[in-house]
Amino acid sequence: MTAPLAFDVIVLGAGPAGATCAATAAEAGRRVAVIDEQPRAGGQVWRAPMGGFPGKGDADQAAGDALRQRLAASPATGLLGHRVWSVVRTESGYRVDTLGPDGPTALEAPSLVVATGAHERVVPFPGWTTPGVIGLAAATVLLKSHGVVPGRRLVVAGCGPLLAVVAAGLVKAGAEVAAIVDIAPRSAWLSRLPAILGQPRLATRGLSWAFAVAKAGVPTLSGHGVRRVEGGEAISRVVIGPVDADGAPVEGPEQVIEADSLIVGHGLTTASEVTRLLRAEHRFDRLRGGWIPVVDGAFQTSLPGLHAIGDGAGIRGQAMASLAGEALGWHLAGRTAEAAATRARMAAATPFSDAMAGLMAQRPAQVRAIAPETVVCRCEDVTRAEIDAAVDAGATQIDQLKHFTRCGMGPCQGRSCADTVQELMAARLGTSREAVGQWTGRPPLRPVPLGEVIGAFSYVDIPIPTPAPL
Amino acid sequence: MTARRLHAAPERVAVTIDGAPAMLPAGESLATALLCEGHVLLRRSPRDGTPRGAFCFMGACQECAILVDGVVRQACLTPVTAGMAIALRGAP
Amino acid sequence: MSARHDLVVVGGGIHGCTVALMAARGGLNVALVERGALCREASGVNAGTLTMQMTRVALIPYALRAHAMWADAPNWLGHDVGVVVCDGLSLAFTEREEELLSYRAGKRREAGAPIELIGANAAREVEPGLGEGVRLAGHCKVDGYANAYLTGLAFHRALIDAGVTLMEHRAATGIDRDEGGFAVQTAQGPVRGKRLVIAGGVWIEPMMAWLGVPLPIKVLVNQLAVTERQRPVMRTVIGIASGLLSLKQYPHGTTVIGGGWQGVGDRERGGVALMPDRLIGNVRLACHAIPALKEARLARAWAGLEAETADALPAVGPIPGIPDAYVCGSVHSGYTSGPYLARLLADLILEREPALPLFPIDRLLPPQSGRAAS
Repeated sequence: MTAPLAFDVIVLGAGPAGATCAATAAEAGRRVAVIDEQPRAGGQVWRAPMGGFPGKGDADQAAGDALRQRLAASPATGLLGHRVWSVVRTESGYRVDTLGPDGPTALEAPSLVVATGAHERVVPFPGWTTPGVIGLAAATVLLKSHGVVPGRRLVVAGCGPLLAVVAAGLVKAGAEVAAIVDIAPRSAWLSRLPAILGQPRLATRGLSWAFAVAKAGVPTLSGHGVRRVEGGEAISRVVIGPVDADGAPVEGPEQVIEADSLIVGHGLTTASEVTRLLRAEHRFDRLRGGWIPVVDGAFQTSLPGLHAIGDGAGIRGQAMASLAGEALGWHLAGRTAEAAATRARMAAATPFSDAMAGLMAQRPAQVRAIAPETVVCRCEDVTRAEIDAAVDAGATQIDQLKHFTRCGMGPCQGRSCADTVQELMAARLGTSREAVGQWTGRPPLRPVPLGEVIGAFSYVDIPIPTPAPL
Repeated sequence: MTARRLHAAPERVAVTIDGAPAMLPAGESLATALLCEGHVLLRRSPRDGTPRGAFCFMGACQECAILVDGVVRQACLTPVTAGMAIALRGAP
Repeated sequence: MSARHDLVVVGGGIHGCTVALMAARGGLNVALVERGALCREASGVNAGTLTMQMTRVALIPYALRAHAMWADAPNWLGHDVGVVVCDGLSLAFTEREEELLSYRAGKRREAGAPIELIGANAAREVEPGLGEGVRLAGHCKVDGYANAYLTGLAFHRALIDAGVTLMEHRAATGIDRDEGGFAVQTAQGPVRGKRLVIAGGVWIEPMMAWLGVPLPIKVLVNQLAVTERQRPVMRTVIGIASGLLSLKQYPHGTTVIGGGWQGVGDRERGGVALMPDRLIGNVRLACHAIPALKEARLARAWAGLEAETADALPAVGPIPGIPDAYVCGSVHSGYTSGPYLARLLADLILEREPALPLFPIDRLLPPQSGRAAS
């Protein structure tokens, strides 16, 4: 097997945090590699247009293009379209194994930066696995990257600022949005306005989203949530009902909305797979997206040489992610003055991202109200009732639950359900999220086809350890 | 479900979907292309056989894992290429 | 002062559970102390293979009888543990492997294992999924595998039904000797017994140290991997002459790949990380043997700990210098032979004649040392 490629810094994730970090460090003289599964840098918030679609030409696209150009112009080596499946500690730092269009590539560096961002959270409800139900972030991908509206008659539901962004985006694209269904009571936005107004540029954008929706006359049902989806092989109806401020259903009339697309999301949760795989220390912070790696002022985790920035280190939004990327990039290049100055700017930006994070955090009451027959683990069809039964049968920790139910053993490796399953366990046991824990990280970080991971080889060249004694 | 393109699709190439010929836009993500062709149901869940389609469109949920040229691939991460053999039935 | 049991077993894997179960059925009052849940360490994370073809020659007589025990699990364990008996093939792809296979299969055959050497065509009839390049194959018609998860569940029920005092989530922190025998120290108080069995797997070494007996136990960190569900692509249990591949596809479609490739870990932290080059090497062997596996995706991989003595033979028998104390573990291919060896030890404890010799640990101790003062 060929020796791994050597770098000073490897950055995992080419979103605002990772790409900024990689470009900054590389421009300042470090040998940097940046890896992302997507074919182009920008992460989720600045996803590039794909496949011939010219893009919407909005502010996000401009910002994304600027970052992509900066990264391409920098000396950083970009491994875009590469899937990282293994990260291990070595004597001198870290080794990363990827699969790309041309096969396997291994890299090594003393410094590893994890900038893997966040996953969308969708809290399960009956019928959420029906084809035609997609995430808010999924709709963003379709709209921004492909110029596609996912259906003819759409319902946009859930909570958090992304709800307004997606609804407004679809309305502006001329889609028929039958209803916007927001868990938050109308007051939730208002109570956070003072904090939001601390950053006037960002507040204006938020208000323009609300304006676009109102102007189109789309019915907005605040304090409502999705009760269930109906339809067999594809969605045909969305049933909604009133919920309290915490997202739990309350007494009140249900409404049935005919729709061929439900776009739903309930905030963001951190993508902590890499730091978890490496067994860095984590803490549970509900406001910041759940389990996040513990980091010091220089973004270093409990493991030497391992750093975490951006939403993957705690949901703080794009502005903070870009600043953190810049600060760490300077730091890794040994430019302490510039790093300190950037961290000072981060401190000034904090109040806005606290407010945003609150809108995207998990609502325990909503999770605890999940109906027993609802599938929670999509990959393995494990229902809430089965999870509760496994706890009653003696599972006290999340790895044990996995063993009992297969929950988390499927191909998504818990990305769709971990947050929900952990909360359900804690509720059933009457214990803390810390006590329930996280699933132990194991490679591969994402499923990889065996035929690709083995690369090209000849049998006789496989290094065989000494056979066992006879 | 009728997904709608806001812009003219890129040039289409010939593929097969469960053996039947189809024309899909080259370079578009297979998940998006299938959605726009009306293929909302992509596979069935392994344990209970319930209908599934693409959910997150960004590589995390694995719901769009179908057989492409005999190998399991996530449709949302696979660009359409000419001659692709796509199997929606029988993928895990 | 807590009650004194006739026997305290420390360690709730296959060995500890079987000893406890047999001893209880033989009339003893038994307590079993396990720091986690039953059968979750090596007994829970191994590949589950039951095969003569990777069993050491000296253990073949035991493996044959253990095989019968596994097939009969619904009777003695009270539950089906998903045992599948099927053809097993050990493959040779190179000249060196051919020599190794001929020699080893021959030796195992002499010891009574039902293994035949067959050529490539015959091998492909047994296993249509085989790749090209097979030169020779060892064929055993009664290889197979068990389901580790079901085994743990079955032992749980059987132990409780047999009246064993089952103490899970209770870590032993030391062992003291007292007038009536032994006191196993735990955070929740001592567990007392007239007799003691140490069945702690890789933790046998520190446990023996509590008694002043220096028994070195090497910790193997075995890497294992499993694929996603796939259409049926194989119907046998497959290995390679070097012993460095174990491969089987379960009825629900996933395939487990093993072979003893070493990862990173230790007895304090468990299996911590997998070495990518070694995982790739292991998977290459699997894909070479059954090429259709290339279509499937690797779902997850893990590393489990396995105990090994200096001569890679079991540590099963009385502890020298300490009356009424026994050790049971480090069987190496312990999943195949473990239950039978544990049953033999239970027979000894019950003052019955074991049907086959045990593996006393005197051979493994430093000369003239390790005898704890009585």
